[in-house]
Amino acid sequence: MIQRKLSVILENKPGALVRVVGLFHQRGYNIESLHVDPVEDLNEYRFVEEKLNINLKEGEVSHLIIATTVNDNLLRQILRQINKLIDVLMAEEIK
Amino acid sequence: MKLAGNDMLIQSLIEEGVEYIFGYPGGAALHIYDSIFKQKEMEHILVRHEQGATHAADGYARATGKPGVVLVTSGPGATNAITGIATAFMDSIPMIVISGQVAKHLIGTDAFQETDMIGVSRPIVKHSFTVDSAENIPEIVKQAFYIATSGRPGPVVIDVPKDTTAPDKLFEFKYPNKVDIRSYKPPIEPDPKQIERAVDAIIESKKPVIYAGGGAINSNASEELRRLNEILDFPVTNTLMGLGVYPATHERFLGMLGMHGTYQANMSMHNADLIIAIGARFDDRITNTPKLFAPNAKIIHLDVDYSSVSKIIEANIAVFGQVKNSLKEMIKLLEAKKELIDSKKIIPWKKQISDWKSQHGLNHEMHLCETDEQPIMPQAVVQHIYNITKGKAFITSDVGQHQMFAAQYYHFDEPRKWINSGGLGTMGFGLPAAMGAKLAYPDDEVICITGEGSIQMCIQELSTCTQYNLPIKIININNEALGMVKQWQDMNYGGRHSASTYQSSLPNFVELAESYGHVGIKIEKNSELKSGLEKALSIKDRLVFVDVYVDPNEHVYPMLVAPNGSLKDMWLDKETKT
Repeated sequence: MIQRKLSVILENKPGALVRVVGLFHQRGYNIESLHVDPVEDLNEYRFVEEKLNINLKEGEVSHLIIATTVNDNLLRQILRQINKLIDVLMAEEIK
Repeated sequence: MKLAGNDMLIQSLIEEGVEYIFGYPGGAALHIYDSIFKQKEMEHILVRHEQGATHAADGYARATGKPGVVLVTSGPGATNAITGIATAFMDSIPMIVISGQVAKHLIGTDAFQETDMIGVSRPIVKHSFTVDSAENIPEIVKQAFYIATSGRPGPVVIDVPKDTTAPDKLFEFKYPNKVDIRSYKPPIEPDPKQIERAVDAIIESKKPVIYAGGGAINSNASEELRRLNEILDFPVTNTLMGLGVYPATHERFLGMLGMHGTYQANMSMHNADLIIAIGARFDDRITNTPKLFAPNAKIIHLDVDYSSVSKIIEANIAVFGQVKNSLKEMIKLLEAKKELIDSKKIIPWKKQISDWKSQHGLNHEMHLCETDEQPIMPQAVVQHIYNITKGKAFITSDVGQHQMFAAQYYHFDEPRKWINSGGLGTMGFGLPAAMGAKLAYPDDEVICITGEGSIQMCIQELSTCTQYNLPIKIININNEALGMVKQWQDMNYGGRHSASTYQSSLPNFVELAESYGHVGIKIEKNSELKSGLEKALSIKDRLVFVDVYVDPNEHVYPMLVAPNGSLKDMWLDKETKT
């Protein structure tokens, strides 16, 4: 198994981050590193707007990067679980 | 219209068409309770413990398909609701739980009756909200109902700090008529390509089984499932959560599958070449050892929840969408391809299944025993209830042997009639759930089949039944022990009954029921069983508690051999393994 990096775009609301982080422990996965920032420069995030057909405003969403070591099946399951969270706009693997 | 926060909250519930709200007052919820007092559109049901409120709302939701609504205060009120929220979460039941909270300026100060309800409930809710300002209440309630009832349903908590419901600050009230959450778009219509692949696999199959679960009930897909199988005439099995979604008295029905499923249902799944999973999630009580599960089967999986598909068992063909809609599309395509369906191809398979059934099917005639030399068999109690009610009653159950006997021997022909805690396995669920079902359907028979262990976990709700005159029937299958625990101890722990018996400490249930103002009936002999149950069920205007003493040594069979067994590995009785 190798370390994978997940990119998660979520609403920048109180309580949203802890739902993603909590999910890892609830489902028995491990977080190896974690980085989160509110999205200020929207130019890098046009793909989110296009994919979801929405318009973002500065600081309205956060970008979370999580590293974890899992196999392909578990990775798919984790991504589906994260995507299921109501405040998550998008979760995918960074290739 | 200008309203204060407390009135906005209650008015929002009225706008959602809420008929009943199950709850218990306390300091942080008092502004809200004052608003309830001032209105007449919905009725508040005062339970005796917040766990009862959640299960009652849950029973109402399962019986009607509409969300159940709960109101509790902060701190212990909120934490007492947790077991019921987790129960609804595991079985995907729509529920709104409004919890009072200390005022915003006190949050984080360890104030009186302060608990971080959002944090405590986070792993067991579909979503949760904190009311940050009274103005946002209508929008939050609208979103909460939408989230709870759409996609894969589930419980939603709304935590309401006391200051946001203060009666002295007025705001313009306008209830939103639509809701759009940009980060939440559950699938509705299936991908036509996947429907086509599914239909092709169905046409090719020689040993198919339809495996339908609670998701098919949640999606109200019973009618579509029946129509699909008018075309296919395939064998059908239901999970514990799915009972009733396909008529149990239909010739093609195999019975329940899984841990205590029928021999023919488990054998059919194990030997199938195609499994059509409809709103079912391959739970560990179904698959036994996943690596050994249905080794030759192709899997078609219809579900609304992406994360339920290929979680335990890899699906060959995944169909995402409301299963009702997916089934409709499958029916359309099958009708168009009707000439390709060769019904002769599955004749040997049907013959094989009918042989399995005649070899080791369940004994449905245990109720015919009337000799008093033999103890009452728990299965016979359920068989009598089934016959007396002609299979038309709502049956709620608790957890344990009586639950499995009810699932095996009461044949549900309609969805939403069987109400039990399948996922979490919550003892204490049955009585309050029956209250919720009875409020929803006052003219129908609602029966709680329980055991002397489970009933004592929420027995205080007998008092609620008195207050609101809820004439449900409670059938206490009393084996004077925690039967399922004891069965496992008999089978796996050398018969050492550690903490599974009560040493003569059981109450006199008849007198207990009578002290709450109900009718109590005790049955100890086979010769009294049928007449006693008939008498209980003939009393329409009172709650009747029937305490039936049954064989304390009976086990539930079939039972899957675990660990490391497959679906074909079953105990058929105390001595016989397949």
